[in-house]
Amino acid sequence: MKPLNLIALLLFLGGAIWTLTRSERAVREIQTGYFSAVSPFLKSGSALETKARAFLEEAYHSKALEAELSTIRAETGRLRIIESRFRDLERENVQLRHALNFKDATRFDVVAAQVVRRHPTTWWQTVEIDGGEERGIGTQLAVLSNEGLVGKIDRADKERSSVLLLTDEKCQVSAKVEGTPEIGILSGQRGQFDDKPLLRLKFLSKNAVLKPGQRVFTTGRGGIFQANILLGTIESVEKGALDSEALVRPSVDFADLGTVFVVLSAAP
Amino acid sequence: MIRYTIISVLLVLASFLVQQFLPAFTGLHHSRILFVQLVFLCAAVTVSPPTMLLLAFVCGFLWDAHCGIGAHGGDPEVYTQPVESLRFGYSILLFGAMGYLMQGIQPLFQQGKWQFSALLSGIAIFLYLTAEYLIISFVRGDFVLSQATLLQMGYTSVLTMLFSPLIFWLLFLIADLCQHSINPEAGKKRRRTY
Repeated sequence: MKPLNLIALLLFLGGAIWTLTRSERAVREIQTGYFSAVSPFLKSGSALETKARAFLEEAYHSKALEAELSTIRAETGRLRIIESRFRDLERENVQLRHALNFKDATRFDVVAAQVVRRHPTTWWQTVEIDGGEERGIGTQLAVLSNEGLVGKIDRADKERSSVLLLTDEKCQVSAKVEGTPEIGILSGQRGQFDDKPLLRLKFLSKNAVLKPGQRVFTTGRGGIFQANILLGTIESVEKGALDSEALVRPSVDFADLGTVFVVLSAAP
Repeated sequence: MIRYTIISVLLVLASFLVQQFLPAFTGLHHSRILFVQLVFLCAAVTVSPPTMLLLAFVCGFLWDAHCGIGAHGGDPEVYTQPVESLRFGYSILLFGAMGYLMQGIQPLFQQGKWQFSALLSGIAIFLYLTAEYLIISFVRGDFVLSQATLLQMGYTSVLTMLFSPLIFWLLFLIADLCQHSINPEAGKKRRRTY
């Protein structure tokens, strides 16, 4: 080996070792720097992508969209009325709780965001949303859709955030099965790339009696996800020597994510 | 040569921006075109080992910055078995290894047989993904290799490889503009023929 090549190899290995020994905080700082450098390109690129997609959709389905829009308008009006009624009830609830000297009233502040891009990473299942620190979004916050739990914020930049989806193996949620004392940890599975991936509910009791169709909710334990958020329904149960595992069909359609809600603050 | 090296580094940086907008092919088991890896592998065969190592470091570093997922967080009493991530920087070593693999057939490339390098880029990407998957499985202690995963790796490698002639064409163009020969032996042969 030529001396120059040997020196280059040693420098390369030194650099690799330096990088491998960075702390979690330092890595996050590097990532923040990287994404702030590429964000102008991402912003303009994804805006262009959204416009192009909207244009194509409009061109092909303008009539269907019109009909859908009028339905959505009607629905929005109905929901506004329900919301105002809900706010009244919430206020009344808070007043009653105060009157009864309850410790605190449950609040569920959410911020709506659009999924603007799916990350083109190799294994991780993440999406990018158009809300960031400017709107109060930070890391480790739960992300919901109207169907149930979507995932959690993995990285928050100024105007964008990355959501780690529930379908990823790395996203773990403390979960309970409706109507049973069963509690376990729900997460995605490696190597599931279908349109409807299944989740795995681990650490259930050895003789867990579960039926397909039973609903799975968050327990609220663990400090990340609030309680009683729908996760999915039991598909099947696999009994093991020490514990049981269940396959869960997620309630959220992960292939078609549009608007999501980031839970800013809520009593767990 | 310096100009060519600088432009190839810039090309690698530009590939990160392009990668952001390449979608996953849902019909092909969510396979993707790994543009960054492709540009690196094609460039690796055209440069000297020190430059290849520089490119491998830049690519690996930025790729991990791009793809890294944070720690799970939450109460450790509840999440007693957190799913481990790969360490930041592991891609640098993978890129380096793939770069050396490409350098192995540099003599053939220098004779003008770029087709072998194009084919090897597909094989190298498959090996890259396999190695990455095996490391993930090793770190997480649970080896699961489904057919879907295998197909995803296969389709990703083939799809990416199909674009390698385009990258080689771009590299030849850049080399011409920089008045630098990336396959000098083929040039000599051409001159002898004339």
